[in-house]
Amino acid sequence: MITLALPSKGRLKENAIECLSSIGLNVLPPADPRSYRATIEGRDDIEIAYLSASEIAREVAAGNVEAGVTGEDLVRENIPDSYNSMKLLAKLGFGAADVIVAVPDSWFDVHTMGDLGEVAAGFRALHGRRLRIATKYWQLTQQFFSNQHGIQLYRIIESLGATEGAPAAGQADIIVDITSTGSTLRANALRVLDDGVILASEACLFAGKKSAENPLVLELAQKLSARK
Amino acid sequence: MTTLRSFSARADIEAILADRNAVRIDVPVLQPAEPFLDTAGEELRRRIFLTQNQNGRAMCLRPEFTIPVCLQHIEGGAPSGRYGYVGTAFRQRDAGPSEFLQAGIEDIGETDTNAADARSVADALACVSDLGVRADKCEIIIGDQAVFDQVLAALGLPSGWRLRLAHAFGHDATLEATLDRLAHPITMPDLPESILQAAQSGDSAKLEELITTAMDAASLSNAGGRTPAEVAKRLQAKFAQSQLVPEEAKLDILRKFLSISVPLDQSVAVLRGFEKDNKIDLAPAIAVFEERNKSLIAAGLDLSAIIYNASFGRRLDYYTGLVYELRSRSGDVLVGGGRYDRLLPLLGAEKATPGVGFSIWLDRIAEASA
Repeated sequence: MITLALPSKGRLKENAIECLSSIGLNVLPPADPRSYRATIEGRDDIEIAYLSASEIAREVAAGNVEAGVTGEDLVRENIPDSYNSMKLLAKLGFGAADVIVAVPDSWFDVHTMGDLGEVAAGFRALHGRRLRIATKYWQLTQQFFSNQHGIQLYRIIESLGATEGAPAAGQADIIVDITSTGSTLRANALRVLDDGVILASEACLFAGKKSAENPLVLELAQKLSARK
Repeated sequence: MTTLRSFSARADIEAILADRNAVRIDVPVLQPAEPFLDTAGEELRRRIFLTQNQNGRAMCLRPEFTIPVCLQHIEGGAPSGRYGYVGTAFRQRDAGPSEFLQAGIEDIGETDTNAADARSVADALACVSDLGVRADKCEIIIGDQAVFDQVLAALGLPSGWRLRLAHAFGHDATLEATLDRLAHPITMPDLPESILQAAQSGDSAKLEELITTAMDAASLSNAGGRTPAEVAKRLQAKFAQSQLVPEEAKLDILRKFLSISVPLDQSVAVLRGFEKDNKIDLAPAIAVFEERNKSLIAAGLDLSAIIYNASFGRRLDYYTGLVYELRSRSGDVLVGGGRYDRLLPLLGAEKATPGVGFSIWLDRIAEASA
């Protein structure tokens, strides 16, 4: 018996249910529609738990559920050492969104992280402060800027919503955010750097290191991977 | 290590610092986090222990002493001061415990920088020897940020390159990667035709006008960020650079410079030779070496026992000149020191205030002297 966590609302939820039905697992809605538990037709060895997408990452990491469907960005951002502590078992082909670095389109001189590094290095001399990045992705930003590109001279401004508006509001100079179609970025006159994709995220089946060896989890992983 | 934590060992260190005419200073364990993050960059955030006070202000356990000592100096309002400290610092490292005992001396406001530099190195050595580590059991390495900056300037490298290289200085892997990248020609990105034309024809006024229009449209003009002039200038520099063949020869000279590692008593001769061989002018930097070397001799140091390593530096942009380290034979850093003339203004000092100082890793001293 395993518990599979699915997103509790919206498109992600619908897509996850559709995805399961495509491998012959029909999720039966709970008797009480307000309940966060569900079952699968003819499979009493798999229980469904509806959780918020970010909780799924945590619950899988903590081992409270055997497997879960959630966005890779949430796992990489919120779970320490996720490449070792969790297993990505299948990419599910929906919920695609990239975590990106975007600058004002009017920064015509900045197209790469290298450009940005130069601007960051000279920023304080010109403006008396560090370059500011608005984001809710602290971890991903730090890893990408510091470890991958050797850029240290910046400050992160925490932004929990409407991050694309931060440059125009004077809260930050650039942003690190998630985008799927890029239309919000364009509407706010922002542009993704040529090498500014930090993570190409999509919905994935994740399991904890230990539960990844559970035969039921493996069965799910195999069927979901073979699906495409 | 446990012995050093005892009160009597601390009292010894206090006496040693007092012997070097340093005024004892105490700084709170809990410090505002902002100055550390602002000076060292976000990378530090992962290493410090952060918390919040009741008003939501980010506070941290002091990750080091130089910044708190400087802040206290600025608050005190004195023009200069020599401060000695000892206490626990808290920082997460890749290996080793996250709290460690440090002691050191910060010499702030002394305008005779060569003498102050020499004294700082001499103080560090004397303290370490008083703590029981024999001079012949450790090596002293010095570097100089200012020489590197002068080499970059003397080579006439484009300003963008200089910024990137100066920022990478002190971290060999990053520096090497940067040099590799610069060896490849840069290509201009896709730009709107009007922008590209203005950049190509060198029409700065037109370019600024176009950028202003774009910034206005994005409501960025009053947002306090980069200005049209700044973007235009960098874009033109980039365009000029894209017309150039990458200057392999200059990068080679830079590599040659970075490979210099000689006893300090040979440093002036070697730098002069380098200057002559490569036909560049490093006179101001060499003059500083000559003066500082004299001061070091006057402070009783043996120059032949100090290594000058041209690629040795710290990746913190407030270090401006001399940087040095005492290392044990096994390679552990026992003392780290350097000149940080940009730090005090950065922390809010109203006028230019030079500073130089060092920090001793007492836990490692205990091992090295055992």
